[in-house]
Amino acid sequence: MVTAISDEMFSGEAITDPYSYYGRIRDEDPVHWNEKYELWVITRHDDLVWMTRHHELFSSEFWSRDKRSPYPAIDESDLGLYQFMREFFMKWFIQHDRPVHTDQRKVVHKWFNPASMETWRPMVQQVVKDMLDEADEDGRMDVMKDFATPLPLFVIAQMMGMPFEDRKFIRSMAEKLLFIGRGEADRMQPLTDGIKELMEYLSPLVAQKVDLPVDENDLLSVLASGEKTGALTRDEVIADAILLLLAGHETTINLICNGTLAFTQHPDQWKLLKEAPFQDPDTVVRATEECLRYDPPVKSIQRIASEDVEMGGKLLKEGDRIRWFMSSANRDPAKHENPDTFDISRWPNTHVAFGSGIHHCLGATLARMEAQEAFKALAGRYDSISLETDEYEYQPSVTFRSLKSLPVSLK
Amino acid sequence: MPRKVRVSVDLDICVGNAMCETYAPKVFVLNDDRQSTVADPNADTFENIMEAAQDCPVSAITVIDDETGESLFP
Ligand code: HEM
Ligand code: HEM
Ligand code: SF4
Repeated sequence: MVTAISDEMFSGEAITDPYSYYGRIRDEDPVHWNEKYELWVITRHDDLVWMTRHHELFSSEFWSRDKRSPYPAIDESDLGLYQFMREFFMKWFIQHDRPVHTDQRKVVHKWFNPASMETWRPMVQQVVKDMLDEADEDGRMDVMKDFATPLPLFVIAQMMGMPFEDRKFIRSMAEKLLFIGRGEADRMQPLTDGIKELMEYLSPLVAQKVDLPVDENDLLSVLASGEKTGALTRDEVIADAILLLLAGHETTINLICNGTLAFTQHPDQWKLLKEAPFQDPDTVVRATEECLRYDPPVKSIQRIASEDVEMGGKLLKEGDRIRWFMSSANRDPAKHENPDTFDISRWPNTHVAFGSGIHHCLGATLARMEAQEAFKALAGRYDSISLETDEYEYQPSVTFRSLKSLPVSLK
Repeated sequence: MPRKVRVSVDLDICVGNAMCETYAPKVFVLNDDRQSTVADPNADTFENIMEAAQDCPVSAITVIDDETGESLFP
């Protein structure tokens, strides 16, 4: 019997195995209208690339333009908080279209270029080493809590010149903000609390840096310089600082966890990584790209149609809500050979884990470097990493591919 | 005499981020696929071209000295 495609994106099946769920949509109805959530589901690699490269047709300003209610639903009493959130996120450059987007992105774009990121590699290596030294004492760890969560946060805090003592505070904020991609109806309170506390924490720091000459080694100082040139207002500097503090958070965590999980499930690939000449950068680079392709940290991203557009024989109307899925695009057989095989020697690897077009991830080079150093250190240190449990669960999110925890023993 | 260069973009790598176009719009022009192509490699200052190459997020741009053949980026 042929069953219709279910539109429940939050069902256990779709959350546990998005590759089957969105893969089926890609094969049967690649530009799919999801009746339940009233949005278009875009699943093919080529369509995704085309859409992200035509930013004039597909707007990123969904926080300001999408007046529909949040989904999944939140508590009625929290709608005021939701409004606060919307107004806060509208300040981000990620949420703008051109030309504002370009002017704002330029303030920090150079800072993230490949050569300047490379100068931070030794610092990243040190952070990785410190955390694994700690895990060694127990012979086990929860990859999520003990490794993947603190790593990106400590790295970015260091780049922003934040005092070492403040890390505990930053981390507790981050835990509140982890509710971002979750479905709980009462998720708004911890989210807004976290943002308000971070704003309070950052305001005096930013005020200080605006008055000082720009320190090119200090990301917060570089951001504050945007206020002097007029590209950003003070509120925007603070909002963008929070963005940068946390943008790499849930995402990089997922890359490290999902990648580690893939290695435990594919011992042959783990062996390949381990046996590669230790300093061989190519193997580590390729392995990281394959982790990004095979189980991408971000499952989907939103857009709003700016005008009527035809796609895959369907008419997307102005104002329609759209979601494009890297989960299905990265497994598109029209783009990747044996798409469901985890093969760390795959090259070139044209996955879209970081999106494409003008909003292509600003932190991609940093995220790659963190994951490369994490996988390299794991392979260099341990003969085997094994799951302590067969039951692992994912957060009920359509945005993020997030494990709830990943307890492993280390040998 | 301004320095003459040869410039190319690797389309297997370019993600259409278009930052190069904002630095040197006469040199880098997006094609129909919204990837960067080189219109006239000497239509902008050497500094702007080098800045575009250095700040390309995926290092898709190559710059070569037209006279000596020396690789200037990467
Ligand atoms: C500073 C880091 C970030 C924070 C604090 C943040 C916060 C949020 C919040 C509060 C929501 C609303 C969720 C809800 O309605 O429950 C949201 C949604 C979303 N965010 Fe972010 N975000 C961050 C970074 C990012 C990044 C880097 C991306 C892109 C990779 C992203 C993509 C999205 C998308 C696509 C949605 C739509 C959400 C949905 O309803 O599933 N976010 N974000
Ligand atoms: C594995 C880790 C990461 C993944 C998978 C990821 C994914 C993405 C994706 C898919 C987008 C495109 C959003 C869109 O088109 O609307 C994006 C944008 C962005 N990401 Fe990431 N990201 C990661 C890490 C980071 C890090 C570490 C940072 C910063 C420190 C960062 C900062 C940003 C910013 C600022 C944008 C918005 C760029 C713009 O609108 O011009 N990301 N990311
Ligand atoms: S900056 Fe790099 S990725 Fe972006 S369009 Fe230019 S060449 Fe392509």
